[in-house]
Amino acid sequence: MALVLSACGNGAEEGAADTQPADGGGVISTYTCEPQNLQPGNNTENCGSRVLQQLFTGLTEVDYDTYEAQPAMAVDWHTEDQVQWTFELSEEYTFHNGDPVTAQSFVDTWNWVVDPDNAQATANFHDKFLGYEDVVNGDAEEMEGVRAVDDYTLEIELVEPFGQLPIVLTYNGFYPMPEVAFEDMDAFQRSPIGNGRYQMDGEWVHDSEINMDRYEDWPGENPGEPERIEWRIYNDIETAYLDVQAGELDILGEVPPSRIGQIEDDFGDNYSQNESSRFVYIGLPTYQQEWEDVNVRRALSMAMDREEINEQIFQGAMTPAYGILPPILPMSRNDACEYCEFDPEQAAELYEEAGGPTEFTVYTDIGTGHDEYVEAIANQWISHLPVEDITFQSLEFAQYLDLHDSREVTGPYRLGWLLAYPSAQYAMEPLYSTGAASNNAEYSSEDFDDAIAEANSADAEEADELYQAAEDHLLEDLPVLPLFFQDYFIVHTDRVDNVYSDLSSYVRVEDVRVLED
Amino acid sequence: MTGYIIRRLLQFIPVVIVATLIVYAMVFLMPGDPIRALSGDRPMSEQVQDRLREQYNLNDPFLIQYGKYMWGVFTQGDFGTTFQGRPVLDIIQQGLPVTLTLAAVAFCFQAIIGAIAGILAAVYKDSFIDRFVQVSLVVAVALPTLAIAFLLQLTFGLNLGWFPIAGTRDGMVSYILPGIVLAAVSTGIVARMLRSELIEALQSDYVRTATAKGMKRSRVVTRHGLRNSLIPVVTFLGADLATMMGGAIVVESVFNMPGLGGQVFRSIQAQENTIVVGIVTLMVLFYVVVNLLVDLLYAVLDPRIRYE
Repeated sequence: MALVLSACGNGAEEGAADTQPADGGGVISTYTCEPQNLQPGNNTENCGSRVLQQLFTGLTEVDYDTYEAQPAMAVDWHTEDQVQWTFELSEEYTFHNGDPVTAQSFVDTWNWVVDPDNAQATANFHDKFLGYEDVVNGDAEEMEGVRAVDDYTLEIELVEPFGQLPIVLTYNGFYPMPEVAFEDMDAFQRSPIGNGRYQMDGEWVHDSEINMDRYEDWPGENPGEPERIEWRIYNDIETAYLDVQAGELDILGEVPPSRIGQIEDDFGDNYSQNESSRFVYIGLPTYQQEWEDVNVRRALSMAMDREEINEQIFQGAMTPAYGILPPILPMSRNDACEYCEFDPEQAAELYEEAGGPTEFTVYTDIGTGHDEYVEAIANQWISHLPVEDITFQSLEFAQYLDLHDSREVTGPYRLGWLLAYPSAQYAMEPLYSTGAASNNAEYSSEDFDDAIAEANSADAEEADELYQAAEDHLLEDLPVLPLFFQDYFIVHTDRVDNVYSDLSSYVRVEDVRVLED
Repeated sequence: MTGYIIRRLLQFIPVVIVATLIVYAMVFLMPGDPIRALSGDRPMSEQVQDRLREQYNLNDPFLIQYGKYMWGVFTQGDFGTTFQGRPVLDIIQQGLPVTLTLAAVAFCFQAIIGAIAGILAAVYKDSFIDRFVQVSLVVAVALPTLAIAFLLQLTFGLNLGWFPIAGTRDGMVSYILPGIVLAAVSTGIVARMLRSELIEALQSDYVRTATAKGMKRSRVVTRHGLRNSLIPVVTFLGADLATMMGGAIVVESVFNMPGLGGQVFRSIQAQENTIVVGIVTLMVLFYVVVNLLVDLLYAVLDPRIRYE
């Protein structure tokens, strides 16, 4: 069956057409933190990712209305069986140095990223490509499953059917890099040459700024609104907040939690609350005997008053979670979790029957505000369940992860998850499938694994229901207790408009309109 | 004198070796695996993690790691790279001017304002000026650095708009607020120290003699009183210039300045030994050099002091 997705116009952008700002779009300055690096294949963090998204264009890009893949460099794609894929590439794209972007560019980039000698952080995002294992183990130089048929036709063969491929390819780990990049990556990332809406102006000034101008030869349908984007690098969001107030910085996409209460006084209408896919949950180490019994986990979940925590601790600034799939994704449901409803009496009964532990330790990583809501939950457990004492252990993040990796966590723990690309698959498979890299609960269910495999092999239209079915298993078994999805608050100055952020919490800077200059 | 300086310089070698060893050990002993933490809750594949550990000698025992690092430093001038491949020298090159400028501005503030306040308070002892100086200095010393920083940012940055709130984009103007914050505590100490020393000196016999001979008051204060009161103040200023590197950690973070202080803080968190050791070595060197200069300055201030 041929799968063709049409480009859905973004509502916000359509609105932009009739109030075209003067002077070619104007200049905006926007917040970011110091990126770890500016190599698309090596970046898995927010500070660099949102910058790279403006410098590069992948085969597909996210439609921010429907959270589906829409054509970008690939104008069309086909698959019969979700294993063999053919992508037809646009012939008009060039790198910012003038080199054409061809199918071979993708082949070379992906092989380079996967090559263990290059130690790229996104290498394992390519693990469904045929031949990935061989390259990783040093048995082959190139992945067998990635082939340039001609300059503008790319064939991808997977190890198993995977209908989510087009949306996966929106991720920055799949952006193409020009030949010069492979010669000297350090020089390249000082001023990355991409194929995106914007091109670097000068070099990345570490801890200070990254400037980019609109690339006028970008052939896509919706080029960037601002003529120039200046990323200002801050290591403290409090300082950035003050700078927006003073008009020195146009946009801050991550208002510090401590400021949310006063945001309206400080900014009037110039702020917005944006849903994101950041899922914050209380995980349970199912590898420990006390947490093996599903009824203990259900009881803990039912004894959590998520609404109260949102009101008391966050002043309503979060979206309480009643499922695993982020509400921002179209297939998510808010009534699917039977055991997420607050029901202290039944919770206590269930906990008693199942013989849940009366004393245990709760784990958190040290960070802004984590302790506060985790302690609030612990207090709810103590008051609603036959639990006598809860001790807390807060650890530095590195140490925290070590404890998880060595399976030494003995009680409930806090962790978060942010989608790298908007797919239900990514909200579940890396966290809950047997033996998965981020499966810290060590949850293992054949039913769930089968359900995910089935959903993965379906095409995009049928997948939604199948992913919901997979989610149902998680909501029955509750290896993690959904707590909330984090909302991000944006503040901006008077001179910009149409400022919103996507499910990764990134401000869509390419859509921002400058009102006056 | 020359012999003395050479001997002092030779003492730097053990100081630097011991200091780097201690710093390296402390970062090494921090719990947690830096490579695992690098990618947060989205782990990299085992192969990639192994490759990085190999590349940065993280599998070696402590002394071997330290030895390899120092070998690189002394044989090739190679101070290592970050986990992302950025040379540490590059980081130092970018951050050092910022931190030095900040320290220089702060130093000027505390030396000049501290001296003026101290002299005024001493000369007009028990007057309104004296009380005013004393009270404001107590406030400056007592307020936490962070509070002073926010207060200045809000008042002079946000409300009055006289100075930039953060960053170094506006050149020297950007250094004024952070300079004041960094200098605040020490200005108070300098002024109080100078005040008490000067009051004591002004009551001494040689000052009374000079006054009796009909010397002008200003000359008595500067040539006889001040010169003799400066030794403890200079000692303090010297030591303080060196400790400013520590204060720079907070101030650079709050004012978002791309200097070495903020960098060393972030690198310790990320357990990037190479950067921490590189920067700390630099700070240690700075500290010992400044101390040497202070010692040499004694001889200038007090001719009775001689170094052999």
